[in-house]
Amino acid sequence: MRSFWSLLASVVGLATLLVQAKSSSGDSVLVLLDPSLKRDDFSIFFSGLEEKGYDLTFRSPKDEEPVVIKDDYPQFSHVIIFAPETKSFPKDITPQSLVDLLSKDTNLLLALSPKQTPLTSLASEFSLITPPPGTPLVSHFPERDTPATVIPVNVSHTSPILTPGLPPVWFSGVPFALGTNPLLVPILNAPPESFATDSLGDSDADVVIEASEKGGEGLWAGSQLGLVAGFQPAGGARATWVGGVELFSDEFATKEVSSGVKSGNEQFAADIASWTFQESLVLRVDSIDHHRLNETAPREHYTTNDQIVFTTHISRYNPKTSAWEPYSGIQDLQLEFTMLDPHIRTALPPVPGKPGAYSVTFRAPDRHGVFKFVVDHKRRGWTHLHSSTVIPLVPPRHDEYPRFLSAAWPYYTGAISTSIGFIIFSALWLGGSESKKGKGSKVE
Amino acid sequence: MAVAYSLPSDVSPATVTNTRSLLRIIALALISGAAIASRLFAVINFESIIHEFDPWFNYRATRVLASEGFYEFWNWFDPTAWYPLGRVVGGTIYPGLMATSGVIYNVLHALHLPVDIRNICVLLAPGFSALTAWSTYMFTKEMKDESAGLLAAAFIGIVPGYISRSVAGSYDNEAIAIFLLMFTFFCWIKALKTGSALFGTLAALFYFYMVAAWGGYAFITNMIPLHSLALILMGRYSSRLYVAYSSWYAIGTLASMQVPFVGFQPVRTSEHMAALGVFGLLQIVAFAELVRTHVSSKQFQSLLYASVIGMGILGAGAIIGLTYKGWIAPWTGRFYSLWDTGYAKIHIPIIASVSEHQPTAWPSFFMDLHSLVFLFPAGVVMCFRQLRDEHVFVIIYAVVASYFAGVMVRLMLTLTPVVCVAAAIAFSSLLDTYIEPTEPDVADDSSGKIAETAPAVDAASSGSSTAVSASSSTAKKTKKAPTAPPSVSAVAAAMTPSKKGEKPRGIFGLDTRFIVLLNAVGMLLFFVLHCTWVTSTAYSSPSVVLASQNPDGSQHIIDDFREAYYWLRQNTPENSVVMSWWDYGYQIAGMADRATLVDNNTWNNTHIATVGKAMSSSEEVAYPILRKHDVDYVLIIFGGLLGYSGDDINKFLWMVRIAQGVWPDEIQEPNYFTPKGEYKVDDMASPTMKNSLMYKMSYYRFPELFGTSQAIDRVRGQQIPKAGTTLDYLDEAFTSENWIVRIYQVKKEDILGRDLKSANAFAQGKKRKRTKPPVRRKATV
Amino acid sequence: MAGPKTTASSVSSSSSANALQTLWKAYNDTTSPRLKLVDTFLVFLMLSGVVQFVYCILVTNFPFNAFLAGFGSCVGQFVLTASLRTQVNPTNRSEFKDVSPERAFAEFALGSIVLHFFVYNFLG
Repeated sequence: MRSFWSLLASVVGLATLLVQAKSSSGDSVLVLLDPSLKRDDFSIFFSGLEEKGYDLTFRSPKDEEPVVIKDDYPQFSHVIIFAPETKSFPKDITPQSLVDLLSKDTNLLLALSPKQTPLTSLASEFSLITPPPGTPLVSHFPERDTPATVIPVNVSHTSPILTPGLPPVWFSGVPFALGTNPLLVPILNAPPESFATDSLGDSDADVVIEASEKGGEGLWAGSQLGLVAGFQPAGGARATWVGGVELFSDEFATKEVSSGVKSGNEQFAADIASWTFQESLVLRVDSIDHHRLNETAPREHYTTNDQIVFTTHISRYNPKTSAWEPYSGIQDLQLEFTMLDPHIRTALPPVPGKPGAYSVTFRAPDRHGVFKFVVDHKRRGWTHLHSSTVIPLVPPRHDEYPRFLSAAWPYYTGAISTSIGFIIFSALWLGGSESKKGKGSKVE
Repeated sequence: MAVAYSLPSDVSPATVTNTRSLLRIIALALISGAAIASRLFAVINFESIIHEFDPWFNYRATRVLASEGFYEFWNWFDPTAWYPLGRVVGGTIYPGLMATSGVIYNVLHALHLPVDIRNICVLLAPGFSALTAWSTYMFTKEMKDESAGLLAAAFIGIVPGYISRSVAGSYDNEAIAIFLLMFTFFCWIKALKTGSALFGTLAALFYFYMVAAWGGYAFITNMIPLHSLALILMGRYSSRLYVAYSSWYAIGTLASMQVPFVGFQPVRTSEHMAALGVFGLLQIVAFAELVRTHVSSKQFQSLLYASVIGMGILGAGAIIGLTYKGWIAPWTGRFYSLWDTGYAKIHIPIIASVSEHQPTAWPSFFMDLHSLVFLFPAGVVMCFRQLRDEHVFVIIYAVVASYFAGVMVRLMLTLTPVVCVAAAIAFSSLLDTYIEPTEPDVADDSSGKIAETAPAVDAASSGSSTAVSASSSTAKKTKKAPTAPPSVSAVAAAMTPSKKGEKPRGIFGLDTRFIVLLNAVGMLLFFVLHCTWVTSTAYSSPSVVLASQNPDGSQHIIDDFREAYYWLRQNTPENSVVMSWWDYGYQIAGMADRATLVDNNTWNNTHIATVGKAMSSSEEVAYPILRKHDVDYVLIIFGGLLGYSGDDINKFLWMVRIAQGVWPDEIQEPNYFTPKGEYKVDDMASPTMKNSLMYKMSYYRFPELFGTSQAIDRVRGQQIPKAGTTLDYLDEAFTSENWIVRIYQVKKEDILGRDLKSANAFAQGKKRKRTKPPVRRKATV
Repeated sequence: MAGPKTTASSVSSSSSANALQTLWKAYNDTTSPRLKLVDTFLVFLMLSGVVQFVYCILVTNFPFNAFLAGFGSCVGQFVLTASLRTQVNPTNRSEFKDVSPERAFAEFALGSIVLHFFVYNFLG
């Protein structure tokens, strides 16, 4: 009874906390739910989303409606696919169309399963290497009374996506190996003692022993495997791959990891959803500005060796107020002044006193050409910031060079004296003797 | 003296001179009209459009000058050329041409004649060709006389060697440069003949104009010193030479340094050292002459000569020493390749690859000059006979220009004026000899013929009047009006034998005269016919528009280039960057108004080699280069469907060679040939060739045109394999009507960070192979 | 015309000094005051040019265009004046049939003005 009241209180508290949070890119969510799963089994997760303000539309893989993309326009801002048992998806949801959705700024939350689904082949495009079909993750540690495939996983404390201090989460499903794609954001890794195998009995674990003898080749084990991984494609959308659907279920959310400690599944699921649906860690470049030092208006082109001031304004989305607020928390923003290769790479520090503004003053290089101001900030979990502004850098005009140099005064005096001499000479000649033939015309 | 035909004797000398001047003026006007008219074929057949490649850049620069004024033009930095390096146009061009057009434009607008700048640019060359004819007339007049001058003007007015670079629409530096060349030479000769500093100053001013107009001004910079040196060595030093050369050099060199593109070159490069050397030598010789007039002692003289020669050798040694030390730059590649013809192919492939820089073949001499090429040596020999100072100039000019014209096709243009002058001298001497009516007296009746006066006068006058009427009736007027010969006594003195008692020499009778003159006139007629034919068929096509014939004989215009450039202009974002081979850079900039990577200026060999590397490498290697340079579109020319042989596959080997010059480890020319050494594009092509970007782009979807039958490349005459080529990193954006211009769009990086080949395979539904997880550490056993 | 004595080589040094003296005497006698005016101008120009050249070599040749302008001004004016001298010299009448001394001076003035125009344009 007490547990029930505490549960209710925590749920209500959580709900009030989250009731105002909304995504920065839209509210419509399509949930592709396998018929074998019941909606009520995920009520905590889905009601959490609805309380935040999302508009959930449920669809079974057998249904043709509502289509996820129509006439090349995506119909929903976010798509959740919880379809562990489905072998074939409807016609409008193919691996290719899912990638297409990503390029059209639709966020995806995809769940894998030990069975072979169309998502398994899609995972390899995201450089996630899935184990052979029918090999769920198994761990015999820690000692517990759940089956070996239901594993408590410790949450790392360093990921910016998750709230700090989360208790371990329950997980059941497949692991995947993470490739070397820099766009991957590992969120939850497998416990070190876990491994993927196709049978629960250890007698069939020859595969594991063989692989370990080969030096770990082909071994699906250890904390190098990921269970939940995010992916940030170019373009801003986000995709999250989860190794099993049960992570979101009510059963796991209410299960205790150790006596008196509830699992962190509910908060974990809410964090993943809020990251995937563009609520948290969302940045954008509001504006960029450039002008010469001691001027305010930007110019169409600058001259070499000019002092240029570059300013950019960055905002972060605040899900609680559903507004973009200036954000000065980036400590390592850099500006590159590039022509084929960066000629200048300098830090872009935040301006104290002006929230959201980052500014730097630098001297344009001595080389003329067409340069770009490039702001390129990529951090795992955060939105990639990229802005590129083309600006020509022209050489000085012909009258911008210093004109009369002191080193040249002998030449100036020489030239002027020649002119004066010429004038005097002409005067003397013309005013001189009128005898044109001159004297001394004796030919030798 | 007996006469073959009698001249009217009741005409006063004043009337004769007046009539002669009037006839000369009319003749010059007709020649100018002919010169302008024969250059208008392209405008009449097609339209008033700028031709070729280089003129498009000049036209763009002139547009900037006309719209923004001289100040902005002087400082113009073009960020769309040679992206992303940009081009400082103000300091790297010869502004004479644009300034001339700008001045004409402003003058016409001040007179409230709103002529479009394009029309001014198109018609500038014919206008200046009339001025060239006039300046050649003045030049030849100094050599021989006015009648030779008129012949020379007529020759240069219509000769194809000059027309090729000065048709209406060919808005290039040579349009005004040849006029300035002849006029500068005329001023120089006049200065030399009269010893007047005024003509020396005029020569310097027009030399300055020439320096501002054309890079070939180095020709004048070396011709005039060479002439002066020859005169000194021949012992013909005179104060006139000193006055003329010194005033020309002092003012001209200082003036030429005002052009930013030339800068300090006149005192720092080997091409200008000859002029400086001769200047110094002249000062020494003049000083020696001056001292010599004051002292007559042999001892002093010998001392003086020794010191003069010593100082001369010292000066020459100083120049050579400075060159070795590097303070004076050695001959630049362009000019050095004129002496060492094999140099360019090895070291500077770009210079060797320009079609205009190839050695001249004999047929092009005949095509460009026709019968003048035979008269030309005769004229030079005649200069030897007279050998005044100015004839030495023509001889030197003829020898030097013949050598250069043999080395490079492009330099036929500098040979053409001297050929016209020398041929005119020869031809006019011939005409003079045979029109001259005096006959030598003969003691014997058998060998002398004295023609009747009346029919002879009719025949002669009818002969000359038909000539005049023929010239007035034909549309293309090129004939000169035969003038009455110069003073009869002078010619008679040349004709009559020097010794008494010898057989008299001369021309007897009217029939000999008539036959020779008829032949001569016939040769002139053939010359006119040839020139007109060559102009209309060979030199009057704007290479932007091609023409061919339909089966029924009507003209079929192939306008693929403009179609493609205007597609680019109207369908791509304004800041797109287009990559193509450098030939088309100016045209893309002029007609499509887009940024280009390389263009015809070819000043940066590494940038061109980068483009060559991108074109000749595989897609995976080329893609990073394309993305680094922000290239949005790639444009190639493909002539395989139509048989247009000037396409990029034919130029491909030059791209490879130029790229190889900068990256010899990555690009090797032999890889693009078959093992047997053949250049093949069919299924026997080498793998490197098949994977190169240029090959893939050229033949992309080409076999689809032919359906089930075999695809044939009409230019190479080979069959293309039916499988065709695949492109992963580029998308086809546009192909023109006859497949001549093909434009491809560069794909952006894949959204999931994959390489585009795998991304395309995925998009087509292919599954990836199952892979094993990457090994991070070895398990401890 | 008194020439230097054609003595033996033992007195060559004195004979060369004598030669120079005789040269100077001959020069003084034969040249008109007008030509002497021209000659003084020429000497002045030569000195000015030498000074600029020495400065260029010894100290610095930056800015090069100013050096060229100044030096070129001296050299140009020098040759123009020398040309004027030859044209006006009565001994050269036969060579310069078309150029009378007045015309020679006019051409000299025109050439000098053009020269100075370019010099001042190049100087700065």
